[in-house]
Amino acid sequence: MISIRGLGLEHGDTLLEPLSLDIADGEIYFLLDRLGFDLLFQVLGGLRRAAAGEVLFAGGSAGNGGCQGAAFINRIADVADFETDARIADWIDFLCSACGFDRERIFKTLLVCNFHERHLKKRARELTPEIFKQAYLAVSLAVDRPNLVINDFIRGADKSFELKFNKLLLQMKAQGRAILYLGSDIFYASEIADRVGFIKDGRLLFEADAADLKEMDIKDLYLKFLN
Amino acid sequence: MFAFFCFERRRIFGEKKNLIFLAFISFLSAYFVWSGLNEYRQFQVEKKVFLKFEEERVKQFATYVQYGTFGFRLLFEASPLNLFFANSSILQDVESNVDGFEAIRVDSSFKGNKLFLKRGFFKDFAGILFVFGSLFMLYLGNLALASQVYLRFMNGCMSLKKFYFLTTAARLFWLDLFFLALGMGMFLLVRLGGCVFSRGETAIFLRYLFFLILLLDFFYLLGQFTAVLAGFRRVFFLWFFIAWFLCVFLLPEMSRISVFNESRSLESAEKVNLEKFRNLMALEKKFREYLKVNPTAPLDQVREMQKRFAVQFINSSYLVNTGLETKYLREVERVITGHERQSILFPTTYYQFITGEVSGKGYYGYLDFMNYIMELRNRFIQFYLKKRYEEPEPPVEPFVKNNENIFRSPSRLPATFPLGMLATALYGLALFILAFWRLQRLVFQP
Repeated sequence: MISIRGLGLEHGDTLLEPLSLDIADGEIYFLLDRLGFDLLFQVLGGLRRAAAGEVLFAGGSAGNGGCQGAAFINRIADVADFETDARIADWIDFLCSACGFDRERIFKTLLVCNFHERHLKKRARELTPEIFKQAYLAVSLAVDRPNLVINDFIRGADKSFELKFNKLLLQMKAQGRAILYLGSDIFYASEIADRVGFIKDGRLLFEADAADLKEMDIKDLYLKFLN
Repeated sequence: MFAFFCFERRRIFGEKKNLIFLAFISFLSAYFVWSGLNEYRQFQVEKKVFLKFEEERVKQFATYVQYGTFGFRLLFEASPLNLFFANSSILQDVESNVDGFEAIRVDSSFKGNKLFLKRGFFKDFAGILFVFGSLFMLYLGNLALASQVYLRFMNGCMSLKKFYFLTTAARLFWLDLFFLALGMGMFLLVRLGGCVFSRGETAIFLRYLFFLILLLDFFYLLGQFTAVLAGFRRVFFLWFFIAWFLCVFLLPEMSRISVFNESRSLESAEKVNLEKFRNLMALEKKFREYLKVNPTAPLDQVREMQKRFAVQFINSSYLVNTGLETKYLREVERVITGHERQSILFPTTYYQFITGEVSGKGYYGYLDFMNYIMELRNRFIQFYLKKRYEEPEPPVEPFVKNNENIFRSPSRLPATFPLGMLATALYGLALFILAFWRLQRLVFQP
């Protein structure tokens, strides 16, 4: 379960008025904002301090040195950011032995994503962003944590990868994990989420269940909150 | 910990461009060590020719007057370790002539094959590791932490402190091991090539190698620091090159210019020679005056007077001239000491200072050479005067015994070596701490 209590952010032009949310186990909550959620994602991951409020993850809380209560999947802007000169297989070996990642879980995810074995022998720079995303996803999901926070991970991905990712997401939901998805794609949100929240000008203006969302005009919602 | 060591080994030695660079450094080092060894062997051959020539030369002198006028040559032989520093030393291939003249000369010959022996430009083991080793370490330090995004990802798996410390330790371990193996490998190859090093020289080489590794670690940490300081931005390579150029070329050059400016306070060597010449000529004038006053003096009496003037010369003018030379040398020593102290201030300047000293052709090697020349001159003048005035025409005996005309300059480490090591280690530590401080601000934003 993820509980956000009166979480406020202030940084330059970015502002988030105190936000309170509860995401139940086995639920996917999609928070939408046109401007994106990089700052909120950093706060949830313990990389930045919030102006006010707190975040509670079942089994731990956010803080420096990583958050024990949740797994985090960030969007990948540039594969070069992960270029370590090491082969993907070596990177996975390292993460398994240094951070205690579950190797079996990594390879299961890679299998779901149809990640080819030959890519393991390559370096990040030698892979296309799509293929690297698969490896990144596999290591991000390797730790067994009860909650999951995702920041706009699927943006720009092709449909086949999106489908594989949805499959994994639904698997995790079925396992009873609370999932908070931060993004700006209302069409994707309507496909995957159980509940959707709309943020505009730093305020949570509107919340809807997936069932209600299907009856609404998504285009109208998009124009109203995200345009 | 073990995971870090395995991962970093694969990162460094699994990357083709790193391997190419390491192979390039190894190949160049081996080439210049081989070239140094050849020069060393050539010098040994020439030394034998030199000794033979000097022996033959004395036999050709018919009188001690000739011996005193032409004197004998003194060859400067650096420690065998010089083959690793052939182009990094302060002195060139030098020799001196010990004779009855007032000036002490230290010359470098450009005759024959020596014309083609162009020194300088880091063309030796010490220089290659200094220039290319530092560049490589700076580059690997820059790549070590990948990016801000990667660090944030890793921070989700372990604490930033642990990741930073263990990554640095593991990378430095492998890189240091490589350079240590390279240095030791070259040393052993040279030994197999027939060059013998004493136990003291081996110990000095090991200490030099230790300092070299510390210097390269400094460059690695500098690379890491500049990358963090520039926030892992792509414009970094400009910073990287500027930092390297500043440390490797600009600062040592500034130090050299500084010591040169310092040395301008020294009196000109020509002035000292002129003063010594005046002292000598004053006595000569007195003797001529005596001959003018007593033009009909018998030869025995003239000879007796010559002897008396010679004794007077030894007891007065010669002592004054030796005093002038010693004073001048002490002033040079003062400049050298100042330069040594100043070079401690930065690792690369100190590295350049100690390579000269370890080669045996450094500043202190020069001072020892000058002291040796003066001591030998002193003995030679006494020998010459004694032999010349002892009996009318004795057969000329050689003054040089047991290869005394070869000055063996040992390798040495200056007394400030521990201080230099400490200063370099402190620089590295400061960069390590500053980079971490800045890294924390990059990863955890307030």
